[in-house]
Amino acid sequence: MNKLRNLLLLTLLFAGPVAQAHIASNGFLTLNVQGPRISGSIELAIRDGELAVGLDHDGNGQVTWGEVKSSEAALQNYVRGHLRLAAGESSQCQISFGPVEVNDRIDGNYLWLPLRGECATEVKRLFIEYRLLDVEDPSHRGLLALTANGSAQTGVLGGTARARQFELNDPSTWSAFFEYLRAGIWHIWSGIDHLLFLLSLLLPAVLMRRQDRWDAVPIAAPAFVNIVKVVTAFTLAHSITLSLAAFDVVRLPSRLTESVIAASIIIAALNNVFPRITAGRWRIAFAFGLLHGFGFASVLAEMGLPKGARLASLVAFNLGVEAGQLAVVLTIMPLAYLLRATDFYRRGVMPWGSAAIACLALFWLVERAIF
Amino acid sequence: MPRDSTSLRCVLQCRLASFAAAALLNVAGLSLAHALPHVPDKDGAVLAELSAGTRYADVSARRLARGRVDVAIPLAQFYVQQSRLSGDLRFLGYAEAVLAPWMQQSPPNPDVLVLQATLQQSRHEFSASLTTLDQALGIRPADPQALLIRATVLRVLGRYAEAGAACGQFSRLVESRLAALCIQGLLGLRGHLDSAYSSLSQLSTQGWLSSEKSWLYSELGEMAVRLGRNEEAERWFQQDLRLAPTDFYARAAYADLMLRQGRPKDALSLLIGQESHEPLLLRIAIAQRQLHDQALEQSSARLRAAFAAELQRGEAVHRREQARFLLEVENQPNLSLAAALENWSVQHEPDDVLVLVQAANAAGRPEAAAPAIGFVQAQGQSDARVESQMAWSASR
Repeated sequence: MNKLRNLLLLTLLFAGPVAQAHIASNGFLTLNVQGPRISGSIELAIRDGELAVGLDHDGNGQVTWGEVKSSEAALQNYVRGHLRLAAGESSQCQISFGPVEVNDRIDGNYLWLPLRGECATEVKRLFIEYRLLDVEDPSHRGLLALTANGSAQTGVLGGTARARQFELNDPSTWSAFFEYLRAGIWHIWSGIDHLLFLLSLLLPAVLMRRQDRWDAVPIAAPAFVNIVKVVTAFTLAHSITLSLAAFDVVRLPSRLTESVIAASIIIAALNNVFPRITAGRWRIAFAFGLLHGFGFASVLAEMGLPKGARLASLVAFNLGVEAGQLAVVLTIMPLAYLLRATDFYRRGVMPWGSAAIACLALFWLVERAIF
Repeated sequence: MPRDSTSLRCVLQCRLASFAAAALLNVAGLSLAHALPHVPDKDGAVLAELSAGTRYADVSARRLARGRVDVAIPLAQFYVQQSRLSGDLRFLGYAEAVLAPWMQQSPPNPDVLVLQATLQQSRHEFSASLTTLDQALGIRPADPQALLIRATVLRVLGRYAEAGAACGQFSRLVESRLAALCIQGLLGLRGHLDSAYSSLSQLSTQGWLSSEKSWLYSELGEMAVRLGRNEEAERWFQQDLRLAPTDFYARAAYADLMLRQGRPKDALSLLIGQESHEPLLLRIAIAQRQLHDQALEQSSARLRAAFAAELQRGEAVHRREQARFLLEVENQPNLSLAAALENWSVQHEPDDVLVLVQAANAAGRPEAAAPAIGFVQAQGQSDARVESQMAWSASR
């Protein structure tokens, strides 16, 4: 035992204080379920294939492509014996294979086996039992990427969790929906440029232009109609372009859209200081709303739309934007309505607030267009 | 973009950090899984070289080990050794397979336990490793091997007082040179870097085994790096690598030194042919980025896939590397900071301090590195790299 101890000590000393190593043994199982049919692939490192079935027939320490091909049947049998797919406890799926190929990964070449599963019934819940290399290497895991009905999930197979089941009506669609809803709300709140544009158009909604001066509207009804028209036009317009951009129908360079968005704020705000368009401001809201939609789209592009849930996520994001926008409108406009008759509002907020917005937007325009 | 949009981006990034880290890396990993399969042109194309211990034929030795502990121990030890030499984690799995039936034995053989603890430590399962060592030391208190691993693990975790106690016990059982390595290495992290460095560098290595010399040189190299004596560090690393070309840890530290000095070409030539080793591939990718090398694309795709697989497995052997990858290759300071903080919650080595400080500075949140800075100050630890980072951030 003394000699052994000494050897052990050497082992440890050799590497110095901290061991480093590269990646562990993984198999990659990629499955797509459609009704009773499963298609996909399993990838196994050649190293692991050698341990499982013995690929190096001539024993020269090298595994060649020829040796792999001649072991194809053995490999298929091995996988069939160590991987069970089932649509229910008793509803086994028959696994068959396509011709083997090779995939290059960080830790060497992998055998890539395309596979199909034929199940007796439609797969609503997929049972997977993964026992590949369980004897040879207990640290081996199967990394699963499973898609079904347009939604994707991942899982780890093997180790203590040899048999696992996966619900295919993925509930995570809902969590993605809320994720995008929240992102929409956040965007409208923290992306203050869209709000300032809308605000510039809404500030005069509680007023009317008479003989070159602003007067308060006498009753709520016309103010309400003004607000609804502007908000609706803006919403409609940016929804159209957001959808077009999200589905890659139209794409504009972000410097252009960001600059024009800044310009739109300047125009809307200056129109309050030096009124030109006093009736039908909803038309400005619509025209420039189209460009703001492209601005939203760039945020969405940064987040990415999940495959299979693109439409739902887009709708969620847009709903979030509307909700955030509505919350602001509902907070500010009643206040504006109450203050509409005061000098503070008519001679202070209207011209000077608008001028301040225009200045800020001018700064953005210069920043976005030039830098 | 105006300031508010930038902050929006931060809000989204911070909130989506975990989502992004998992999802983005995952998508990359998965898409890589589909994109590349091909059919080689020739039957004679060599797809893999099998090293010792990876043959199908070796399965018979393993079968024998199931019935005989005197076969199981040297076989597991051989696998651990192979893992050290090749940097290949699969060997640890083979060792685990050999040890598994003997771990069920009651009471377990202490040599089996020490081997198990060694492989747990290599996988960065630090607390599991300490538990196994406690078990081994409970059976055989004066086990130098167990004490040395214990000291090593505790040192990585930054629990220096306990590590010192383990070193002390270890020192009473082994030759003085090994005692010096264990104790001075630790003192170098506890406010006595100068004296530890000079006392280790004055040791005469006559009669030392080459593995012991390698340990000494890599320790000295790292100390010299922390002292800012880069030329001396370079000499120690070179001496070490001449002796132990498979000392991946020293090779990585040497490459880091070159990268910090703006010598990416030298780093690449040091790392040539080491692409299959994840931490070294990271240094290759950083060098390629500094050189605007086309090959960066492939290196980072491979790293992304490897980190994705690790994330999916729920293991984090390479948290530190992941933080550096996100910072120095992917240019994602916020995600990098999240990874560096997670890394810091486990390991407390000087390189862990450095990556956290760098990520925090890059993310514009230098205060996020406070736990590491507090630790360093409490220990009196000095590190020229960290100090220059902090000077840089203070000057801004």
